[in-house]
Amino acid sequence: MSVAKPLPHDAAPLHVTGQARYVDDIPTPANTLHLAFGTSAHARASITALDLAAVRAAPGVIAVLTADDLPAANDVSPSAHDEPLLAEGEVYYIGQPIFLVVATSHLAARKAARLATVTYAEKPALLTIDDAMAANSRFEDGPREYTRGDLAAGWAQAATTVEGSIELGGQEHFYLEGQAALALPQEGGDMVVHSSTQHPTEIQHKVAEALGVPMNAVRVEIRRMGGGFGGKESQGNALACACAVVARLTGRPAKMRYDRDDDMMITGKRHDFRIDYRAGVDAQGKLVAVEFDQLCRCGWAQDLSLPVADRAMLHADNAYFIPAVRITSHRLKTHTQSATAYRGFGGPQGMVGIERVMDHLAAELGCDPLVLRQKNFYASGGRYLEQENEQVAPSTAGVEEDLTSRGAVATGEPDKVVAVPVGAQTTPYGQAVVDSVAHELVAALCEKADYAGRRAAVERWNAENAVLKRGLALTPVKFGISFTLTHLNQAGALVHVYQDGSIHMNHGGTEMGQGLFQKVAQVAASRFGVPLERVKITATDTGKVPNTSATAASSGSDLNGMAVAAACDEIKARIAAFLAEVHQADPAEVRFEGDAVLVGADVIPWEKAVAEAYVGRVSLSATGFYKTPSISWDRIKGEGRPFFYFAYGAALTEVVVDTLTGENRMLRVDILHDAGTSLNPALDIGQVEGGFIQGAGWLTTEELVWDNTGRLTTHAPSTYKIPACSDRPPVFNVALWPNANREPTIYRSKAVGEPPFMLGISALMALSDACAACGPHYPALEAPATAEHVLEAIGRARAGESG
Amino acid sequence: MYDFDFEKPSTIDEAVAALSSEGAQALGGGQTLIPTLKQRLNMPEKLVSLTGIAEMKGVSSDGGTMKIGGGTTHGTVAKEAKGSFAGLAKLASLIGDPAVRNRGTIGGSLANNDPAACYPSACMATGATIRTNSREIAADDFFDGLFTTALEEGEIIVGVDFPVPEASDYQKFEQPASRFPLVGVFVAKHGDRVGVAVTGAGEDGVFRWTEAEEALAGNFSADAVSGLSHSADGLISDLHGTAEYRAHLIGVLTKRAVAAAS
Ligand SMILES: Cc1cc2nc3c(=O)[nH]c(=O)nc-3n(C[C@H](O)[C@H](O)[C@H](O)COP(=O)(O)OP(=O)(O)OC[C@H]3O[C@@H](n4cnc5c(N)ncnc54)[C@H](O)[C@@H]3O)c2cc1C
Repeated sequence: MSVAKPLPHDAAPLHVTGQARYVDDIPTPANTLHLAFGTSAHARASITALDLAAVRAAPGVIAVLTADDLPAANDVSPSAHDEPLLAEGEVYYIGQPIFLVVATSHLAARKAARLATVTYAEKPALLTIDDAMAANSRFEDGPREYTRGDLAAGWAQAATTVEGSIELGGQEHFYLEGQAALALPQEGGDMVVHSSTQHPTEIQHKVAEALGVPMNAVRVEIRRMGGGFGGKESQGNALACACAVVARLTGRPAKMRYDRDDDMMITGKRHDFRIDYRAGVDAQGKLVAVEFDQLCRCGWAQDLSLPVADRAMLHADNAYFIPAVRITSHRLKTHTQSATAYRGFGGPQGMVGIERVMDHLAAELGCDPLVLRQKNFYASGGRYLEQENEQVAPSTAGVEEDLTSRGAVATGEPDKVVAVPVGAQTTPYGQAVVDSVAHELVAALCEKADYAGRRAAVERWNAENAVLKRGLALTPVKFGISFTLTHLNQAGALVHVYQDGSIHMNHGGTEMGQGLFQKVAQVAASRFGVPLERVKITATDTGKVPNTSATAASSGSDLNGMAVAAACDEIKARIAAFLAEVHQADPAEVRFEGDAVLVGADVIPWEKAVAEAYVGRVSLSATGFYKTPSISWDRIKGEGRPFFYFAYGAALTEVVVDTLTGENRMLRVDILHDAGTSLNPALDIGQVEGGFIQGAGWLTTEELVWDNTGRLTTHAPSTYKIPACSDRPPVFNVALWPNANREPTIYRSKAVGEPPFMLGISALMALSDACAACGPHYPALEAPATAEHVLEAIGRARAGESG
Repeated sequence: MYDFDFEKPSTIDEAVAALSSEGAQALGGGQTLIPTLKQRLNMPEKLVSLTGIAEMKGVSSDGGTMKIGGGTTHGTVAKEAKGSFAGLAKLASLIGDPAVRNRGTIGGSLANNDPAACYPSACMATGATIRTNSREIAADDFFDGLFTTALEEGEIIVGVDFPVPEASDYQKFEQPASRFPLVGVFVAKHGDRVGVAVTGAGEDGVFRWTEAEEALAGNFSADAVSGLSHSADGLISDLHGTAEYRAHLIGVLTKRAVAAAS
């Protein structure tokens, strides 16, 4: 079986030799046109005059389009229809596309775009969380609120309480490959679009809308992206629609890619938050009441902000049982880039809130934060032991609505009410936590990384050193797996077996470097019992698998792995029935292993078995379909079982802080992460390492700064600092925690895309610990913990102290 | 980039002649100028490369003076100054990356006078003399606010003469993304005279912290400056840090430089 093997990424040799083809590498026809947007210079204004004469006269310019020139819909929003491709007289952020330049080269288009004379009548802009709160500028009619338990009783039991607030910055995706699209006009008005997208079906849908054609007139293809991180879930719509519209109007291929600065100015980022909190523990240190106000800056358009803010609420508990809790979420509308999906999708922000509460409470109690954390973990769930007898039942469910964006509104009734086992602890939204391994996993990590010894060593160091202070923190992760919009939890696959025994595999997931294609190919090879080399991985294509969900919410392997397994099993069943009949055997006894088909006593080599089946007129092509069972969710009430299961992990980070300047670095990181029974430990460890570093980057060096006119001033790597190779901790021990998924996922694996991102929270908490070592007060460290913020926190820790 | 003519003279005189025409501009290592040309922020009609002028290159010592040709790269300075002038060698070795250090020149850096450039602090702290094709200019008279110097149109920095200090050090607090100094402090001790110069922080570019210089003159030790703090007035507040933070760093880095030098 090729599953569970630590095989390298399927395209690794192509990546390192430069052969791997990204959208920008696709050879373009000679007459291809290149596009660039002219963008708004004001955060909020009416356009009173738009003089494009100089743009039109610039060298190489073929056409300049405004909203009036678009053939059909002028909307690139994922669902709310509030995001025009080109502004219609009003602008809502600096960087908003106003007009589209069509030229003979990328450079000519960009140069010409700067030549417009736009006259604006400026209006007051809302830029910050406070601006938006004061103006009651928000999405939805009011704040969302989830409550559970008796808060008044909780507060009455509280022996120790804390109250505070934490600011959490946004984050630029910084995918190495910028956004790109290429549209190739076809006969009869059809369109083929290559798009660097995590959501080909959404591109297909938006392009169809933009052209005024049905979805069957548009085919979208994507072989791979150079990173996505959520930034290519909805943000590619504008480029794809622009290319398609130009290809339609001119009859020529059209290509668009954003330069890095344009990409950072135009596209959305992670939502920044402020979280106000109040929390109490009883005399035993058990949480009795917690209240959160999550203020979320969404930017100018709705995009995916509602489900992002929902997920922040759904992770406000992290791995802790909170009997009485209120979580209030404000989704604030500001005149800045429209914040969008980013690895974790709000979960990280919600989780930082409760980890900050734990850190603050421990400081108040004067105890080790880890002890307080462990006291409050959800009770352990039973472990799944039966590793055999895995059956993948192909589903025969019918087609669901074509509402493939996470920004879509849930329609129809939830599937069914999911019963909560008696006595189980539940999350604030009523889902039973029956799979928690927080206790065991954290205990194992403490043992492995010598938490107790290192805690003592850090205390010794801090007692002996005045300038350099060390900090240590161990934080857990419990992350819910499934799209919270229940109907998105479905996937399709298409598998062909050719007459020579080679296999063509296709599914709705997209590859962005995470290794999804390799993991799913391993599934296919395992189902057929053949070596991996027999399986050809092919580009995601809306013409092969329709109505796909975005490759997002960590769901790629879970959903597509199951769909591919279902397709393979369908073909296997046909081959087995045919060969059983020929060989006078029971179809149920036919086995596929060792590159052969075993029928009774006969061992038929795979190629021969396939050739026989072909000659026997057996269909060797099948689709597969999967829908996640057992989930249902009411996002207005905040009740149900939104998640199929939880993925767990924990990180122990040690840092050192220079108390004179606030400079800091990670010294050592130890991680144990639960990827279930890993489909590919090498790829999964890669995801854990990368997720941790990206999460730590968010909370330490990555600082987005807008000036007081609403202009993003950090729009290039010269001003915005992502972690580089040299920023890794010198000691970085990452291991997987063997923990077969209790739920019947593909080979009992667990999703691994997003959960490790939140392991990075341990870096922030370790810095907080180091700051706390400087004085008697709680340092209340803000994120990102830049050197200046760390120095301020040290100042707060020392406040009032002399010397 | 706009079109331009290109000349590569081999003597200073030829270079001066080439630069006398309207719209001509000197080109050193191009590490600053070429990116500005690419962004079309500048449109010289002619670029006069100084990289072929042998007499403007290299490092030599003459008594207590280190003479560095205006066309000498940061990489060469880092190597040549290592033994005798540690602070300057360290400063040069921390500029940019190997590519920048192998192309960028001291003359280019001084002529450009970026408020976050490193070399101006070394010149100010040591009391260096900037030699041009026509005159000698004391460091204190050379730097004239952001991106502005005492250089006349067409004037070339042919060299810099540094009085070699007994002890020196450069402390650079790097802005993490660009690695330019958020604040840089150069400290140089020449007998009783101590120079302390600060880059990256001043709204008018590089400046000397005379209060610290006075405190250190009689007592060259970190203790001598431990009671001092620099005011935030006149310091830069920007996306990378507040004026208060920069003021704080000036104090910390000065102490560190003194400690490292003594
Ligand atoms: C990635 C990167 C990182 C950097 N980091 C730092 C850093 O940390 N610290 C730092 O100090 N600098 C840094 N720099 C700037 C670097 O030091 C440049 O080399 C320097 O500023 C310009 O030198 P140059 O020889 O390349 O000059 P050029 O770019 O060729 O010219 C710059 C200006 O000086 C003029 N000029 C050049 N030579 C002379 C001369 N001899 N006489 C008169 N005028 C002349 C030119 O006409 C032009 O106006 C960095 C640059 C880059 C690209």
